[in-house]
Amino acid sequence: ILEDYLLVEDVPLLEEMAEEDEELDLYNEMTFGLDRETTEEDIVKPLISLEMSPELASVMAEETETGEELEPGVVEQPEKLGELQQEGGMDLEAEQVGSELEEEEEELASEEQEEDHEPFEETNDLGDPAVMRAVQSKPTLESQDSAVLDSRIGACWAEFGKEDMLEMDPAVWGSCTGKIPPHHVLEDKAILQVLERPPPPSTNVALDFLGSPVQRGYRASPRHKCPNLRLMSPKSFPQHFLRQSAGYASPTPFQPMPPKIGSPSQPLGMHFGPMSPSLDPALFFAPAASGQPNLSHCPVSRALFPSHMTQLHPQHQRLLTQRQQQGGQAQSISPKKLWSPKADPYAGLMTSKEKDWVVKVEMIQLQSENMDDDYYYQTYYHQLEHKQAEEELLGGRNKQEPPKLVTPFIQKVETYNSVVRIAGSLGQVAVSTCYSPRRAIDAVHHALVEEAAGSQRLRALHRIEKLFLQLLEVEEMQRKMSLAPEEEQPCCQEQKSQEVERIYQVLKIRACSSEEEAEDEFLQLLCVRKGKKLTARLLPHLTREQGEKILLTITHHLPFLMKKDSLSLLYSPLNKVVGGMAFSKLIEALQEMTRPLPESPELPLAMALKNQFGISLLYSLLSHGERLLSSDAPLEPRSGDFETWTDTVFLVARELSQVPKTSLVEPLFLPSNLLSLFCRYLDKQTVHHLEAKME
Amino acid sequence: MNYMPGTASLIQDIDKKHLVLLRDGRTLIGYLRSIDQFANLVLHQTVERIHVGKKYGDIPRGIFVVRGENVVLLGEIDLEKESDTPLQQVSIEEILEEQRLEQQAKQESEKLKVQALKERGLCVPRADTLDEY
Repeated sequence: ILEDYLLVEDVPLLEEMAEEDEELDLYNEMTFGLDRETTEEDIVKPLISLEMSPELASVMAEETETGEELEPGVVEQPEKLGELQQEGGMDLEAEQVGSELEEEEEELASEEQEEDHEPFEETNDLGDPAVMRAVQSKPTLESQDSAVLDSRIGACWAEFGKEDMLEMDPAVWGSCTGKIPPHHVLEDKAILQVLERPPPPSTNVALDFLGSPVQRGYRASPRHKCPNLRLMSPKSFPQHFLRQSAGYASPTPFQPMPPKIGSPSQPLGMHFGPMSPSLDPALFFAPAASGQPNLSHCPVSRALFPSHMTQLHPQHQRLLTQRQQQGGQAQSISPKKLWSPKADPYAGLMTSKEKDWVVKVEMIQLQSENMDDDYYYQTYYHQLEHKQAEEELLGGRNKQEPPKLVTPFIQKVETYNSVVRIAGSLGQVAVSTCYSPRRAIDAVHHALVEEAAGSQRLRALHRIEKLFLQLLEVEEMQRKMSLAPEEEQPCCQEQKSQEVERIYQVLKIRACSSEEEAEDEFLQLLCVRKGKKLTARLLPHLTREQGEKILLTITHHLPFLMKKDSLSLLYSPLNKVVGGMAFSKLIEALQEMTRPLPESPELPLAMALKNQFGISLLYSLLSHGERLLSSDAPLEPRSGDFETWTDTVFLVARELSQVPKTSLVEPLFLPSNLLSLFCRYLDKQTVHHLEAKME
Repeated sequence: MNYMPGTASLIQDIDKKHLVLLRDGRTLIGYLRSIDQFANLVLHQTVERIHVGKKYGDIPRGIFVVRGENVVLLGEIDLEKESDTPLQQVSIEEILEEQRLEQQAKQESEKLKVQALKERGLCVPRADTLDEY
């Protein structure tokens, strides 16, 4: 069940400091699927193991049990926090936190009376009610961010207007999603956890992950009921992830809420609405593992999303904490004392909050359907998933959710227009790029439309780049097609073929003479390694005729191409093309290799024997011919084909026997039927001789 | 190692000394203090380093705020290996003079080239809108 809603709580400012551990908890819970029966102590344990000192853990445990008894717990925190200071550069931050805590304590005292402890309406399933209240606020600038507006979040807001969501009855949720029976929401484990436990104090400078550093610095004015911020967006978000299609493999979009992420552009001291809109989007969902249509967990993180660490997969967190510890140690060992965090008075200018914020934006950028944007990141996780799946099968462990980087996710459209233009307008529409830096960066791409003048090589390189982009699109289409349901395949196929045809046309493969080789556009592409790579990757998508044309062109210009760097990466796809050739086509290709060259006494054939690609291609052609001849399939040869074939075999045999063994290069693959081919035409002695040569 | 495998981030580079190459050809060396999502940089105690041949000179510049799109590349400087260079540091005046001479020599050879081309009836190669390769 996925439901996102934002909870607002009337908790003291100090609570924000304490978020991290709670988030870790939720994260652990949803990732590792703790049972509902798990006691709170069990939940508390992982937190202990991660970062906290035993004292803090006990404070937390206390707090957990005392439920709403926040004040005493809160007061104890500053001292505890002091003990938890981490090494190295964290010192500065810890001090900041310390001072913040003191400030907040004061505010707390004055605030307490104003707080409205409204019991949350709950079913019997819930334990201790946490005190929560929805607070409304005006939409912040961030909420107008186009990245957000693109998504349905915007629609949802409009739909709901600003009303207190939580006072709310589940019926409101029901109307929102229309799909989930409201009471289910309350059964959700994560929600229960949130409701049951008041946030324990956090260990380090966990801060408002999403908060604007600027706003963070801004202290809420006392008249606010809920001084700090965790803002809450009174709306719940539509369950986008309630999609049932099993084919949908992407991570569930996780809609945080309004990106009431503070925008750094806001001047200090500015705030919106009666409440200080403090940041936070509170909801974070772990993207479901691909292929799992059901989202059994609905992590609801309250308010401020603390530090970036909380969002991470436990492995990352561990690594990070290790790193921090090691970092502290390493620095003290470093001989270069001049510059070490302890001595560097300017260190820590960029606070942890700010770093978290940047990391958050980075993580948001990672959530995209487009494989190309974050290829390495996505590949890494796919591989990790596969490994986990394998381990599961082999190890027979309990079903473990493949770890995923839990990142804040703003539901975005899959592709965006990097340059937004309204028809008939004079210029671009201003598009906020603060949370979508890719938009800003991609915008440059549109400007460089014209082909660069310059050397031929430069032009060739440009063409390769353009074609590669198109090829990547084709491959993406292919990938999506294989995932799409059966019905949609034909039209996707159609689209794909069109694209492929377009690329093929641009390649401008045509006949050219030996003199024009250097100027021929296609051959120029083939001279560059990336051009070869492009061709190799394109070949599987081409039609048979197109593939054969490329093969013939390459074979025709083999001497020219062999002088440039290695063609070996083309072997594999070309081998497949050869495998599909008809006999007469094959003869054509072989003829290319046996035609005499004007500028050299050597046959292309002979040159090929000295080149790895050349010899491999030759063997491949011969092997296929032999296969065709030995099979019962009708060959439909043209007149003269058989003679050419026989001549070619003799020619190859002759060249092979003549070429010194040292010049002979080892092929990428030695087909097994070559010897039988030779046996049919040549005497035993020659065959033996050739066999020795070919080994 | 960063905590988002498969991605690159400057977060781990904060407060470390970096060498930054800008699109206009300048080389800056400074402590990276702050970044943002566009890789805009704040460099502290920055020095602009001019290289001419085997010599180099440093011009202290203070604090730089560099717009991300102008960065070609940047990399962390290993403080231990920093002084381990065959290059010779000279004074600012000297390096600026060397640079001036180098520019002059380049301009002269360019002029000769253009002249030679013109004499042969070939067109003058124009500067591309893109960066030179």
